[in-house]
Amino acid sequence: MNGGTNRSRFSDLVDDRVDEGVFRVDRAIYTDKAVFEAEIERIFEGGWVFLCHESQVAKPGDYWATEIGRQPVFVMRQTDGSLGCFINACSHRGAVVTPLKQGNANVITCRFHGWVYDRGGRCVSIKNEEAGYAATERSGGRFDLRRIGALDSYKGFVFGSLSSDVPALRDHLAAAARWIDLLADQAQNGLEVVPGCSTYVVHGNWKLQAENSVDGYHVTTLHSVFAATTAQREARDATAGMGRTESGRIKGKVPSGTYDLGNGHMGLWAQHITPHVRPIYEARAWLEEKLKPAEVEWILNRGRNLYLFPNAMLMDNPSTQIRLVKPVSAALTEVTVYCIAPKGESKTARAARLRKFEDFYLTAGMATSDDAAALEAVQDGSLGPPSQWNDMTRGLSDLVAGPDRDARDLGFEPASSCPDWDHEGMFHGFYRAWLERLEKGSGVA
Amino acid sequence: MSTNGIDPALEREVTALINREAMLLDRRRWEEWLDLYAEDAVYWVPAWATEEETTTDPETQLNLIYLKNRGRLEDRVFRIESRQSWASLPLDRTVHVIGNVLVESAEGDAVEATANCIVHVYGKKGAATRGSRYDFAFRRIDGALRIARKKVIFIDDRLEGPVDIYHL
Ligand code: FES
Ligand SMILES: [Fe+2]
Repeated sequence: MNGGTNRSRFSDLVDDRVDEGVFRVDRAIYTDKAVFEAEIERIFEGGWVFLCHESQVAKPGDYWATEIGRQPVFVMRQTDGSLGCFINACSHRGAVVTPLKQGNANVITCRFHGWVYDRGGRCVSIKNEEAGYAATERSGGRFDLRRIGALDSYKGFVFGSLSSDVPALRDHLAAAARWIDLLADQAQNGLEVVPGCSTYVVHGNWKLQAENSVDGYHVTTLHSVFAATTAQREARDATAGMGRTESGRIKGKVPSGTYDLGNGHMGLWAQHITPHVRPIYEARAWLEEKLKPAEVEWILNRGRNLYLFPNAMLMDNPSTQIRLVKPVSAALTEVTVYCIAPKGESKTARAARLRKFEDFYLTAGMATSDDAAALEAVQDGSLGPPSQWNDMTRGLSDLVAGPDRDARDLGFEPASSCPDWDHEGMFHGFYRAWLERLEKGSGVA
Repeated sequence: MSTNGIDPALEREVTALINREAMLLDRRRWEEWLDLYAEDAVYWVPAWATEEETTTDPETQLNLIYLKNRGRLEDRVFRIESRQSWASLPLDRTVHVIGNVLVESAEGDAVEATANCIVHVYGKKGAATRGSRYDFAFRRIDGALRIARKKVIFIDDRLEGPVDIYHL
């Protein structure tokens, strides 16, 4: 896409003719610089993105530094317990003001020339102020840190937008909210992010991460070596209980499905054949008492991957994970992963959850490293112009508009449902939302 | 006796063992590498909890790798050798350079030592240099010093490419 980023050029990249049996995306969407710049501006800096989990800013004064698109921001727990999110650039001459990625502070002092901001972002002190500024200059608020355009949280998951011209968060989340419920509502004392994280760089476009997070089709090929390795290990060690690995989803046919959850969000699930190896299984009695049967079924017996457009994934399958993507360039994506877990779960369950995480989800683990390598291979394969189209029509005849029976039972309204996680119908929703956002333009204030 | 009260012969033996491990990994002599480990050896690479500290309790906090017996190292070798792991085919080439070996304590059959390691990695996406700090515990088994515990503080925190036993 050299030069033009006008409306028709973007729509050329998504060949959406499902009625004729065609849905394909031009591989230039992974490699083209103009596309990437438009995505940063219109998608990442123009709408809601996931920022953090509330447990990462639990106490007044706790701050969490991150980015929205290119813009550094920080979330700060206010003295009254509410959340604030600020542009992380000093009002004076633009330095990032937080000394660390995370911390606790009464005031934030810019380390460059010493301006001081309180938890609410108000500039409360300027070094040698009298000698340099008129007495009234600071009081008008022009030296305060700027707040971002919109900030809200849903069940402990915090989202922000640079633009204030966005729908309410609940509307943005659409049917994905019900999937967040499944993670949040399984924790009787709430969720917490477990200490420790890992950041890795993948030489592939960020959308490959989005696709991969709900792509069930690759699992029985790419991860067959994971299944073989863990099966051999568990036979040798005579592993019992939660130490075992759920392998139904990797080895073969189990009930499964995918959903287009609206606004670009996607969901994938697969039935577990050994639900008792899941750490959450210890909470079964409580879940059955407190929740509806459909909710218990989805929580205990179905591994789920939820992709939240554009930058977050919540996995409950086989461990529990927040995975964040940060696009660096068209060909480079930074990914950070955290384990999220029910507060107060048993030590055995916590240990099992973490060991499953380490087995699978890290580039030091035995599966995610293979995913990263595969995505890099897609990036490489997409480079030449003769390699133009990625086909996404698998399972078209099984695609159902609106909810299927499972969705109705749980109570969510997907744009489409697919009864097999090998199928690719959910990608249509992702790329339609992607195109809509690119065509609508930027809403950055 | 050396100045820290450690027998210089033991220091040489420990240094040789750490160097040997590096050589065996670089040359992919996996079976001989595994033989350096005690059967109940613990292999631990903590994750970073903050920019300043790694995680400290491997059971209840996240690690990059936490393996609690030699069999789990064999699993890693199995996966590499299977040629089914996309991340491991072709396998990154590595050169380990060991330095700063210090025997910290020696009591009976138990020896503890620290060392540094720079690993030059060449892989699909080019070359990289990674640094690690080692905390070793050794045990003498049938006369030979074996690795009872290898803790690796992997100082890199924005990982490019896979991280497996041969990178550490
Ligand atoms: S840039 Fe912050 S005080 Fe000058
Ligand atoms: Fe995968």
